[in-house]
Amino acid sequence: MIVAIVAAITFALIHIAPGDPFSAVMDNQNVNETVRQTLRAQYGLDRPLPEQFVRYVNSLAHGQLGWSFSHERPVLEVLGSALPNTLLLMGVALVGSFALGILIALIQVARRGSIIDYTLSAISLFFFSMPDFWLAILTLLAFAYWLPVFPVGGAVDPVMHESMGLGGRFLDRLWHLALPALTLMLLASAVVARYQRAALLDVLPADYIRTARLKGLTEREILRRHALRNALLPIISLVGLSFPALLTGAFFVEKIFAWPGMGYAVINAIGTRDYLLVVGGVIIGSIMVTLGSLLSDLLYAWADPRLRSH
Amino acid sequence: MPGQIQDSAATRAARPRESPLALGVRRILRRPSSRVAFFVLAVIVLVGLLAPLVAPYNPSAQPDIVALKDLPPSLAHPFGTDPYSRDVLSRVIYGARLSLMIGVLATIVSLTVGVAYGAISGYAGGFLDAVMMRVLDAFLSIPRLLLLIGVLVAWPGLSIGALVVFLGLTGWFGLSRIVRGQVLALKHAEFVTAAQALGASRRRILWRHLLPNLVSPIVVAATLGVAHVIVLEAGLSYLGIGVPPPLASWGNIIQDGADQPATLWWMSLFPGLFMVLTVMTLNVLGEALRDTYERR
Repeated sequence: MIVAIVAAITFALIHIAPGDPFSAVMDNQNVNETVRQTLRAQYGLDRPLPEQFVRYVNSLAHGQLGWSFSHERPVLEVLGSALPNTLLLMGVALVGSFALGILIALIQVARRGSIIDYTLSAISLFFFSMPDFWLAILTLLAFAYWLPVFPVGGAVDPVMHESMGLGGRFLDRLWHLALPALTLMLLASAVVARYQRAALLDVLPADYIRTARLKGLTEREILRRHALRNALLPIISLVGLSFPALLTGAFFVEKIFAWPGMGYAVINAIGTRDYLLVVGGVIIGSIMVTLGSLLSDLLYAWADPRLRSH
Repeated sequence: MPGQIQDSAATRAARPRESPLALGVRRILRRPSSRVAFFVLAVIVLVGLLAPLVAPYNPSAQPDIVALKDLPPSLAHPFGTDPYSRDVLSRVIYGARLSLMIGVLATIVSLTVGVAYGAISGYAGGFLDAVMMRVLDAFLSIPRLLLLIGVLVAWPGLSIGALVVFLGLTGWFGLSRIVRGQVLALKHAEFVTAAQALGASRRRILWRHLLPNLVSPIVVAATLGVAHVIVLEAGLSYLGIGVPPPLASWGNIIQDGADQPATLWWMSLFPGLFMVLTVMTLNVLGEALRDTYERR
């Protein structure tokens, strides 16, 4: 059902675009009318819309997303080869942001009501309110131009990478990954910290926390062993919820750091008007979000003993 | 804070006609953080509204495209000038006006569609509700920014009005879920049954009895929604498919300096700061509102 509606939306997107998928060919004055008609017939563009829709869904089901003329390769191939880079970036940022976010939340709750708590809240609100692309520009300015510790962009050194040894190549990749991953991580950890702090504060009034306190456990022990464990459940659903934001964040970060992932390909396709590549990005992005929320549901079921026993 | 709750209950009893909205606003302004946020936001809104009076220069004037271009911040141009020799401060001020306006108008579109959709779905129930919720799931699975990119690339050269409509049409999914949940919960409340028994029509029950109970979540969604639209609009404008170029929006200004981020740093720093400030204040107020109504 979800797939069908996404297909319908993207089909509509393709059809509201002026002209047809080869408007470049169609607009050319030298191409005569018969050739255009033949092309249209060849690609089924002269058929009624419902029939075209069925063909479109069918081709989607076979993994055909069309031809990217700016890359002169199939869209699926362009996005497929860029996907590992995007997943790497998102994966590092996801793990890092959950670690950092949960840590910040724990510090805040351990010192709730103090200056530290308020300061950290203000900082995470600041990062939470920041547009992705603006933070990316700022980190690029700060750590690649003013303090040139990290490279300006790309995934590897364009000149030296090929001549490096295995270890050197790995370090080169890591060095290029650092800044974009850090940017995305900061954006995401603000969300995690805010969410986790609220989840922890929700748990604290519970009876078992009072019991633990009466047992004579230290506050730190209570937080770590009792509160955190129970407050981790909502954070698992946050993995799924934050996936769309993480993905769009990755798009901007990739664009600004010239990180050769899906977002970089799709955003550049805006400039070259490579429309099928843009729509392909929308489709793959939606699939990723759906899989992400499915994954988080499964994780939740696995982590919650109340659900596991059923 | 039991004292405060009693206090507000007493004032409510004394002034029974006060709307939940006014009550909420009065309550959140007790917090110092909200008061600061309210003040900052009010200043930004005022600056935007009074842009022609406040801005030192004409935001689109290009006085001297050779001598006055790409100037770093100075006394004459506190935020510097852009590659077309336009004054960045004036553009940021006019940008406040445009970005806030787009945020508010798009959110009105979202609220209208979201409340209608959620209320119908929740009130109708049964098969229609199930179908409407599945459709919503599908929409929710497409990242909003990607959907907007798809639409805006398909229709190049859209007017601002159309941009507002699309920003609004992609922002109602979350709200309509909340509205549906509330309507479902209240559908069988006694006051609804009483209204039905008195022969009120469905439309009347929805408008006069259910909707007033939804004001709080709607106000929260609206506040946070404006913040979200401002960020989205800036992102789209930064990608060159948002607000059409000669106009100044915060995203557009950053886009104008995007070719040389290191040399033209003032072009991304200042509009971005204004944007973050606006979004932050909206988030603070939205969350304060949510806290007050959830505690009730």
